[in-house]
Amino acid sequence: MAQAAARVLIVEDTPTQAEVARALLRDLGHEIRLAETGADALEQGLGWQPDAILMDLELPDFSGFEAMRRLRAAGVEAAIIVVTAHGSVNHAVEAMREGAVDFIVKPFAKTRLTVTLQNALEKRALASELRAVKAQLNRDRFFGFIGASPTMQAVYRTIESVAASKANVFITGESGSGKELAADAVHRASPRRAKPFIALNCGAIPRDLLESEIFGHVKGAFTGATETRPGAARLADGGTLFLDEIGDMPIDMQVKLLRFVQTGTFQPVGASKAEKVDVRIVSATNRDPWAEVEAGRFREDLYYRLYVVPLELPPLRDRGDDVLLIARQFLGTFAREEGKRFRGFTREAEQALAGYSWPGNVRQLQNAIRNIAVLHDGERVERAMLPPMLLRSSRVPTPALSASPDPIAADAPPVMPEPGLAPAVLDSAAPQAAPSPEAPPEDPPRAPEAFLSLAEVEKRHILAALDATGQDVPRAAAMLGVNPSTIYRKLQSWRE
Amino acid sequence: MAAECERSFVNAIDPDIAGQLASELPRDDFVRILRTFEDDLGRLARLLEAAVATGDEDGYRRAAHSLAGAAAAVGALRLEHVARIAMDPRNPADPRALAVQVRQEAAAALAELAALADNPPGSA
Repeated sequence: MAQAAARVLIVEDTPTQAEVARALLRDLGHEIRLAETGADALEQGLGWQPDAILMDLELPDFSGFEAMRRLRAAGVEAAIIVVTAHGSVNHAVEAMREGAVDFIVKPFAKTRLTVTLQNALEKRALASELRAVKAQLNRDRFFGFIGASPTMQAVYRTIESVAASKANVFITGESGSGKELAADAVHRASPRRAKPFIALNCGAIPRDLLESEIFGHVKGAFTGATETRPGAARLADGGTLFLDEIGDMPIDMQVKLLRFVQTGTFQPVGASKAEKVDVRIVSATNRDPWAEVEAGRFREDLYYRLYVVPLELPPLRDRGDDVLLIARQFLGTFAREEGKRFRGFTREAEQALAGYSWPGNVRQLQNAIRNIAVLHDGERVERAMLPPMLLRSSRVPTPALSASPDPIAADAPPVMPEPGLAPAVLDSAAPQAAPSPEAPPEDPPRAPEAFLSLAEVEKRHILAALDATGQDVPRAAAMLGVNPSTIYRKLQSWRE
Repeated sequence: MAAECERSFVNAIDPDIAGQLASELPRDDFVRILRTFEDDLGRLARLLEAAVATGDEDGYRRAAHSLAGAAAAVGALRLEHVARIAMDPRNPADPRALAVQVRQEAAAALAELAALADNPPGSA
């Protein structure tokens, strides 16, 4: 195994011995320093952090064994080779017991010394590598992600593997599973990290504006184009362009995107000249992209261009203890924000969190914990503080990637209400528990004609949110806990 | 084996150790080792003699120990042998006589090593 130059500390109080060792190692190209006393060895071992130490046992101030003990106690992980004039078994045994990886008897031939040193360095490198791999396998944070489950470890590994390449990445996963986080991680782990990461939600932009948003426009290109404006492709030059909800892109726009993906060139709306940029494209959808191709809603040629490295994000219900890991993180954050005392969950509350199927994934969990932090206080979150939905059911049916998703079902999972709306909405939305002696009498049943259809309720609710926000779609979407694209789609469908 | 031992004590240096250094290392490195060894010998012999003069037994044995180590590194076997006698507290040899012998063996080792530096094994 070829080895890079290492740092080697020779601990030897006899200059002739030290000079012989230094001369014999010179060909290896390592950086070599000398310590003539035990104290000097400790100082250099801690300060210089050598990869290997050749340790003489007879030192003027204290023994080499003592120096080894102190170095190990201080956390120095150098490979220590004991150099001794006494080739006794006792010395060898004691050397190994004190943490030496090998020992060598003086005087030594060049080959013996170099082979012993290189073996020790190789062993140390392998041990470091093993530690790094173990640390990677057990990590519970990765860029913006929180999660230590095996499914997420696989996601982290894929992101790391693909990051260095320019290959396009296609992220799939249920709504709320962290597709934008994954795209951001791909960018931040890549050599493009110093350049822009531009995210564009294709489903949130009116189709008439999508081309201009991606490719930009020149002044006068259309009514309202009062000045030349760069699009996301230009802004992302050198970096990463994230096209979220790519499945919502109109077919005619897909043709233009295909040309851009193939050539790296594009023409801003109204421009006469094409522009060239260096952009890595990361796309995402919560639908099954191949099913979209088969249904004729997504171009097959574009699919092949974008679906180079698939990255599937697991739903939260498949992430085991990640639910609790994430819940604790959110609780800490929201408790601080809200000035609450929460430090954790009771065991019963944790069981309820772990037993729920989280159809809205991390976004739903986030909203649930915020809801708790807003409405309650205490040292620990108790089961009774959890939103009723969690207590009603565990492992409710969950959405799967589908060819024709119901936009609301996919984008707006049973999200916990925002703090201001919480009590009323929860009370009215949740089915009532079995009546108790203290419960007020139920309302008499309403006649069937008194019920509005769900679609009508949904429409009224969305329009009310838009009215409340002065027709500000992103704010209304935030209030309702859905993506703006969902509202755009709804508005579009109501116009048709 | 008998011939080996005899040769070791006939010559001031062990050709297996010193010769290997001379042949495996660039001449500059070998010469640097000789100069370092020469410095060590001068310094340690003085320490040894001073310890003898003042009756400092610890200092005497420390200097002898360092001399043995330096001598072993370059294959100066006769010098190493004398130094190890001086290191041994059970050995009844007269320290003054050993100090003189150290000087003699050091000079002999240096002379043979210098010759080796000029004509390393394998050179024409």
